[in-house]
Amino acid sequence: MNCRSVQKRLSAYQDGELRPGEQERIMEHLKICRTCREQYAGLERVWQNLGGLLEIQPRPGFYLKIRNKINEAHGRGFLPRLRPIFQLLPAPLAMVPLLAIGLLIGTYLGYALVERGLSPFRHSPVSYFHEEVTLASLRAFDSMPPGTIGDGYVRMVSYAEEVYR
Amino acid sequence: MGDQLDKATPSEGLLAKAAEGDKDAFETLVSRHQTSVLNLIYRFIGNRADAEDLAQEVFLRVWQAARTYKPKAKFTTWIYRITINLCFNELKSTRRKKLFLFRRSRGEVPGRDDEYFTEHAEKISSPEDLLLSAERNRQILNAFQQLPANQRMALVLKRFEGLSYQEIGQILGCSVSAVDSLLVRAKRNLREKLTSYEK
Repeated sequence: MNCRSVQKRLSAYQDGELRPGEQERIMEHLKICRTCREQYAGLERVWQNLGGLLEIQPRPGFYLKIRNKINEAHGRGFLPRLRPIFQLLPAPLAMVPLLAIGLLIGTYLGYALVERGLSPFRHSPVSYFHEEVTLASLRAFDSMPPGTIGDGYVRMVSYAEEVYR
Repeated sequence: MGDQLDKATPSEGLLAKAAEGDKDAFETLVSRHQTSVLNLIYRFIGNRADAEDLAQEVFLRVWQAARTYKPKAKFTTWIYRITINLCFNELKSTRRKKLFLFRRSRGEVPGRDDEYFTEHAEKISSPEDLLLSAERNRQILNAFQQLPANQRMALVLKRFEGLSYQEIGQILGCSVSAVDSLLVRAKRNLREKLTSYEK
């Protein structure tokens, strides 16, 4: 066994997770290889350090608190039971239905305000050169309807022609 | 709660009795597993108060799920799965709180010394030893908290619960080789972090 393959297996060797033959081969290698032995000593130090973390004990009344939580859970209504489902949703996904509801309410209220004439943005009837726009007055099919840049240009040219004539 | 119930009945049997509403059986079950569940959570999240809350939540879930429990796996595997799911959820919600509320969570103070002193004052002889031991405990917990969550959990399950790679794989939902690679990386990372503390 070379050092590379031994070092790959050192963690499993430490945890006793290798097959018996493999475990023994690594043990033999560690006896003769200083580099691998040092690597293994490093792992052992980590293991011992972790052992320095002492165990904590539950505070008195631990079981009583569990019983209280059980009683509370029994008395819960319908909505709090749905909370875990909502907790599963990431925040942006949860915002989508909220946004949709907001848009619906906004559209409905806006429509209702306009219908009753209560809109804060009261609009005057569209006028076009002080004329009320009706289908009859709308010269949309003219080649150059009045008020457009093209119409202004044509007028300007014809005025210039009259002047120079 | 009788001693007979305490020692002879396996945890699966206690759970079956708890499912029928036997509160004594449930209490025995809690007292049998409370320390390991509490320490598993404490070592993972590094805060005693949060760990105790979560451990209570674990037993609440056990009570609620007792009726639907099917003994496919060992009871300990099942309860550790519940514990780990809650731990990872807690971690996610702590991150979310940090992201949206920009506030420090309670989990950011691993191994506070005052907690340690009250917990271990009786076990350690002199005040100097207690102080040194508390400092070392804080350093290890700090280094531990910096590991990625899945490496941390694999290491806790191996080092403190003494589970095999196969059992860890069942609990974490991954293969034996994945557990091996998680542990290799966890030990290497922890060794580097602890060496930097020693310097």
